Amino acid sequence: MKRPRRRLLTVAASATVLTIAALAGCSSSQGGGGSATPSAPLKLYNDKGAWTQYFDQVGALAKKQLGFGVTPVGYTDEDTYQAFVDASFRTDVKPDLFTWQVGGQLQQIVSLGQVQNTDAIWKQGIADGNLSSSLEPYYTVNGQQYCVPLNVSYWGMFYNKHIFEKYGLTPPTTWAQFLHVAAVLKSHGVTPFYETTTLFSFVWFQQLLAGTDPTLYEQLEDGKASYTSPGVVNAMKIWQTFIDDGYMSNPGLTTNPATLLQQGTVAMIPDGSWFNTSMTQLNLKPGTDYGFFVIPNVNPSLPKTSVLFESGPLCSLSGAANSAADTKFLTWWVGQQPQQLWSSSRGDLSANPKVGLPDNADLTSVVTNVRAGKYNLLLRYFEAAPPPVLNTALEVFANFMVHPNTLMTDLDQIQSAAQTYWASHPAGS
Amino acid sequence: MRKRLLGEASRRATLVVLGLIWLFPAYLIIITAIRPADSFNPSSAWIPSGHLGLWANVAKAWTASAIGQSLGSSLLYSVAAPLLACLIGALAGYAIVVLRLRHGFFWFMLIFGGTVFPSQMLLIPLFVSYAKVGLYDNRIGMIIIYTAISAPFAAFVMRNFFTNVAFSIFEAARMDGASTLRIFAQLYLPLARTALAAVFILEFTFVWNDLLFGLTLTQSPGTRPVMTALAALQSDVYAGTPVPVALAAGLIVSLPPIVLFLATQRFFARGLALGQL
Amino acid sequence: MLLLEHPKVLRRSLPSGRRRRPPLLGRFRFGYVSPAVLLVAVLLYLPFLWTVYQSFTTYSGLGPTTWAGLANYRELLHDPVLLTAVWNTLLWVAGTLVLPVALGLLVAVLSFNIRGASWYRLPFLLPYAMSGTGVAVAWSIILQHGGIANSLLSALGLPGGGESFLLYAPQNTLVMILASTWQQLGVNALLFVVGLQSIPREPIEAARIDGASGWTMFRKIYWPLLAPLTAVVVGLSLVASLKTFDIVWVMTQGGPGTSSQTLAIAMYRDTFVADQYGYGSAIAVVLTVVSGLISFVYLRRQLGSRKEIGA
Repeated sequence: MKRPRRRLLTVAASATVLTIAALAGCSSSQGGGGSATPSAPLKLYNDKGAWTQYFDQVGALAKKQLGFGVTPVGYTDEDTYQAFVDASFRTDVKPDLFTWQVGGQLQQIVSLGQVQNTDAIWKQGIADGNLSSSLEPYYTVNGQQYCVPLNVSYWGMFYNKHIFEKYGLTPPTTWAQFLHVAAVLKSHGVTPFYETTTLFSFVWFQQLLAGTDPTLYEQLEDGKASYTSPGVVNAMKIWQTFIDDGYMSNPGLTTNPATLLQQGTVAMIPDGSWFNTSMTQLNLKPGTDYGFFVIPNVNPSLPKTSVLFESGPLCSLSGAANSAADTKFLTWWVGQQPQQLWSSSRGDLSANPKVGLPDNADLTSVVTNVRAGKYNLLLRYFEAAPPPVLNTALEVFANFMVHPNTLMTDLDQIQSAAQTYWASHPAGS
Repeated sequence: MRKRLLGEASRRATLVVLGLIWLFPAYLIIITAIRPADSFNPSSAWIPSGHLGLWANVAKAWTASAIGQSLGSSLLYSVAAPLLACLIGALAGYAIVVLRLRHGFFWFMLIFGGTVFPSQMLLIPLFVSYAKVGLYDNRIGMIIIYTAISAPFAAFVMRNFFTNVAFSIFEAARMDGASTLRIFAQLYLPLARTALAAVFILEFTFVWNDLLFGLTLTQSPGTRPVMTALAALQSDVYAGTPVPVALAAGLIVSLPPIVLFLATQRFFARGLALGQL
Repeated sequence: MLLLEHPKVLRRSLPSGRRRRPPLLGRFRFGYVSPAVLLVAVLLYLPFLWTVYQSFTTYSGLGPTTWAGLANYRELLHDPVLLTAVWNTLLWVAGTLVLPVALGLLVAVLSFNIRGASWYRLPFLLPYAMSGTGVAVAWSIILQHGGIANSLLSALGLPGGGESFLLYAPQNTLVMILASTWQQLGVNALLFVVGLQSIPREPIEAARIDGASGWTMFRKIYWPLLAPLTAVVVGLSLVASLKTFDIVWVMTQGGPGTSSQTLAIAMYRDTFVADQYGYGSAIAVVLTVVSGLISFVYLRRQLGSRKEIGA
């Protein structure tokens, strides 16, 4: 290319770049003030980038009913999202609304004064039946409520109905039946259970411990018990037996579990009810192709079935420019109509007890039972354990799946991480 | 003569065999992306499905994520930043090798040192600084950071490339009264066509595939690069995206770099003679 | 004798004392290098300085930052998990030098000067264009227990037919190196091709006249003259392999357990998952210093001995 043309090209390129950038606009800081109808949609930061289309749907409904909508700013990695929001508190780039985690994480940002109080919303919500009082403690810090539930998912077992029917099996309601189902499947060469070393390596640990001794499970999260105590060891031993007996799928399987269930490679997958989205995406029909049941307690003498749940809070920034609008949105958010839309679009349950999934009887019955107080709800390990302990535990459980004979050393490792943590943080998660 | 042809034939054969081996994983990706979303089974993944599900997969991917909007931003970043980086890198290489900049090796190591830092740790300080100076969520801000990341590679390649250019060319042009800048623009840059092209297409692909910086330093749909939208589909467990849909999206998004590779093939088809002009 | 001293390769040093015209090398030489230096210093070095500072503190991402002095570094030296990470990182460095670099050179040499060469190289370049997650999915399918890799190995009668590649060390790191090779080889080949094409004709012609061919030709003529681009490929591969993160994160996240962790993964996990920013920053600093030293030593040897380094 000749020289004059190249120079012209460089100049043209720079000019184009600058023009586009100028037109693109800089960081928007629309000073909306405390008006209840902001000039721009509220920014909703979240770590569920995949839910952007669902946030948009609810946002459209909000626009119709409230006069303003929300713009989701989705992140896909929970860890980088958290680091980002943490850092944003130090800058002028702040969210209006943002998702977070319950447990110690919520306490931390409340203690830093970053979150708006939502006492009134909870009071009204519980009175109207839109919020469940069983969830309230998890959103309470120092006697006051903060944030509202973005989502609630209950953990149980998804199963392949065709396989069950083939061998004449029905969802178990006791531990003995549960073991029987697994044994029958195994004898026909079907892998009963699924486990994975990536991200969800804690699932069997939490399920077995919660089903054996839920009090111990809660004490662990508060640093009041040891990971090497007999109750924990016994729960892990059950897991070890499952692995040794060949009941578990290969933990290194990187295939999407939904595919595994669909193809019948694995018969049962323990997961949160949000896993239902994966099922519907694969065009599987609830009740025909797959079903869901709550895993029975290991210990039959416990009064209620332990059910692990996860719930993410949706928070509004305290002292934000749009705090009046934020509060208005959150109050509206917990209502039945928005929650029904939120729930149906994703194919998952909602924190609103009046909302179920019309075409999924199994999941709707879970909601009914929760409303009736039939379950002992326990917070998922992922939120309940302090981050340094969680980090070690995730690695250790993954190692355990591959080398089940390291049970005691594995528990020792988690315990030493826990001890280090609680030594510098007085008890109380 | 015959010996030469034989040599060439066996070379071609080796390349074809290696190439086919190399294409196999790509074949897997393509065959999975075009199959219907619910027909994927990893143990028989290499067997093509009877039905074509590509359009359905792409449609699903398109509606589930904001891929469309972000394509424009990514294109801007992937073209502007590598162009600037090539220019800046070539200037630096020229100064160090041809102009024999004092302490040239030190300056070179300083620039090269930019590639040594693990980028994950730069994210938060960059975010805080960008927010302070108003470059957050800003296209110019993104171009600047992508240029900074690309410049060391460009400088390295250009610096080393220029060492193979005969110094006599520079001397002769100086004798003729040309300014150093003119010599750079009219002699060295054209000579470095293949190197510049290689740097550009590699950097284009790198910037195009970037996720972390895009995720941390932007938030509006108008500034976010395309990988952020794709990641939501592919790596988010809560998405429940079937594998064929995720891969179909990945294929569509990978098209620009692939097209670029195809289109620039002729740059590398022939050699250059650097000792002669 | 280096071929660079061959009289036909024109590389003369400056005649001294010439002052009659404007200085041969121009007056504003630093101006040429300043954009690159400025950009890199402000956007890459400064944030890293922040990381260095953070490595001397304890910080959880929220709340106060407390000064910790050398505590993080002391902990680093006694951390058994980091030892695994160091071993794996070394494995990555060795593997990357052997596979993507050497094979890249092979492909470049094989395809040099044949008609349609760039088309033969295309299958190697395409993997680089695919995004990381697509690559990870494809390779996960291949490496699946009971998947294609297993079937192929059994069919060929090789060991590994029943292996679960991603579950055990060091196999998991080794197969990930394979996946990374698949992606990176084309890049290296392209750079080597640029290097081969920039070799001046004279020494080649001269050597041919002298009767050299084939292997001798390669060893005595091409290889030394390829050195500048070899330095690029090796130098960049060294640094990149020390910083290995993306492909490991997507395929195993450093697991199971910590068996496939690299230094960069450990750094990321400690900072962003365990919320121990100070400790993670210390790992980052150590990693950077080590990478910097290694690349400095390597480049000094490769480039520092040349005559064109300025006064």
